[in-house]
Amino acid sequence: MENNYHFSEESINSSISFRSLVNATSYPGRHFQITKLKKPNILSNAAATILITLCDNESNVYLSKDFSTEEVKDWLIFNTGAIVSDKQNADFAVGDWESLLPLDEFKTGVPEYPERSATLIIEESNYKKIKCNINGPGIKDKLQIELPNPELFINNSHLYPLGLDFYFTNDLDILSIPRSTKISVTNSEY
Amino acid sequence: MNDMSKDKNIDIQIYNFAYLDENTKRMIRRALLKALCIPGYQVPFSSREMPMPYGWGTGGIQVTSACLIPKDVLKVIDQGADDTTNAVSIRKFFQKTANVAVTEKTSDASLIQTRHRIPETKLKEQQILVYQVPIPEPLRFLEPRETETRKMHALSEYGLMFVKLYEDIAKHGHIETAYAYPVKTNGNYVTDPSPIPKFDNPKMNNNPAIQLFGAGREQRIYAIPPYTNVKSLDFEDYPFEAMKANFKCSICGSSDSYLDEIIVSDDGKRSYICSDTDYCKEQTQLNSKEEDQ
Repeated sequence: MENNYHFSEESINSSISFRSLVNATSYPGRHFQITKLKKPNILSNAAATILITLCDNESNVYLSKDFSTEEVKDWLIFNTGAIVSDKQNADFAVGDWESLLPLDEFKTGVPEYPERSATLIIEESNYKKIKCNINGPGIKDKLQIELPNPELFINNSHLYPLGLDFYFTNDLDILSIPRSTKISVTNSEY
Repeated sequence: MNDMSKDKNIDIQIYNFAYLDENTKRMIRRALLKALCIPGYQVPFSSREMPMPYGWGTGGIQVTSACLIPKDVLKVIDQGADDTTNAVSIRKFFQKTANVAVTEKTSDASLIQTRHRIPETKLKEQQILVYQVPIPEPLRFLEPRETETRKMHALSEYGLMFVKLYEDIAKHGHIETAYAYPVKTNGNYVTDPSPIPKFDNPKMNNNPAIQLFGAGREQRIYAIPPYTNVKSLDFEDYPFEAMKANFKCSICGSSDSYLDEIIVSDDGKRSYICSDTDYCKEQTQLNSKEEDQ
């Protein structure tokens, strides 16, 4: 069957971006690619894609210090209508690893509503990387990845089914560590 | 007037891609991602009215709409069959509103929307299986109050469900539940697998594909990510058993697929055929190839 309708580019792009997010969230610890978009320079394509695909006027977004610029705020509000918020109320938070710490100020959900928790978008920066084994839902057997401060991710997974969900973003690349992922440090010297 | 004739080729958007508007999709997409992060937990969402009645897959269709991409190949099944009214209508709906390719072959599909079956053919990584769910709350028939069931999930208080299964055994000598058989997802939440026969329950466990569930009327979305532990509830002395009619398909001869019972004559003669039409077709082709050789 053929039709002559034309779908808007926005709609097509958002669907393709979301599908990458579904795959990344479903298969934690694996790298997935998203496509380029128009965005402020400081944001990676991947981080900008998450914000523009998921946020609307019901979303509280926390921008950590380097990302809290007029340019980013204008871009975010113009494109999504999201509310720029503080850490405690954030549904989404963007920043490099150091600037998002400490993690315990973010909301982790409540037992009746564990989904009312923050999603953290961590931009690539020069954090100390430590080798970890991960397993759990979405991971066949186990995977090895590198994480900053693995003890914080281990604490987070102990809160399960509450907890924070993480996306690591680097240019076009995206990798997820949801709260359901179990982490163990492989390097004994740590 | 010349401009008028050109109009045919101008971007006239009758529907947004895959029917739902972008704002609705954002809301559903946020719910879907949280659902994947908390396997088996029912995320509330503000379900939209769809151009079909409740009970026909309004939840599944909203999930499919939020996930669909232009290069998807869509398969829709109803009780395993590609050619029943519900399946045909939903397939046509997405052909019209998303212009996606469709197939009846499980292995060719990138997204499968299903009512009450899991295909017999093994699913692959990155395939998405969308279930249509009538009652997402496995505890609902035991406890009608949402405030209470929510607390029960929060406290992992599932004694009531085990009492129900135990009463089955006390009354009938075995667990009577034959479909929508409750499972525990990732060792935490008791989850309704939608009214699939319990024969299909083991397929949910450790499946490489992404399993998403949409309940439109009840306004809930939940998910089972790939490679997730899904265990059917049971007792040590009454272990779970996947069951099917103990016959062969009278079309393809398969003895390991789930069978539908059909009445073939006025005096009530019965016959059994595969409920999964694509699997049946495949087996029939395999058989005829073997005969040719």
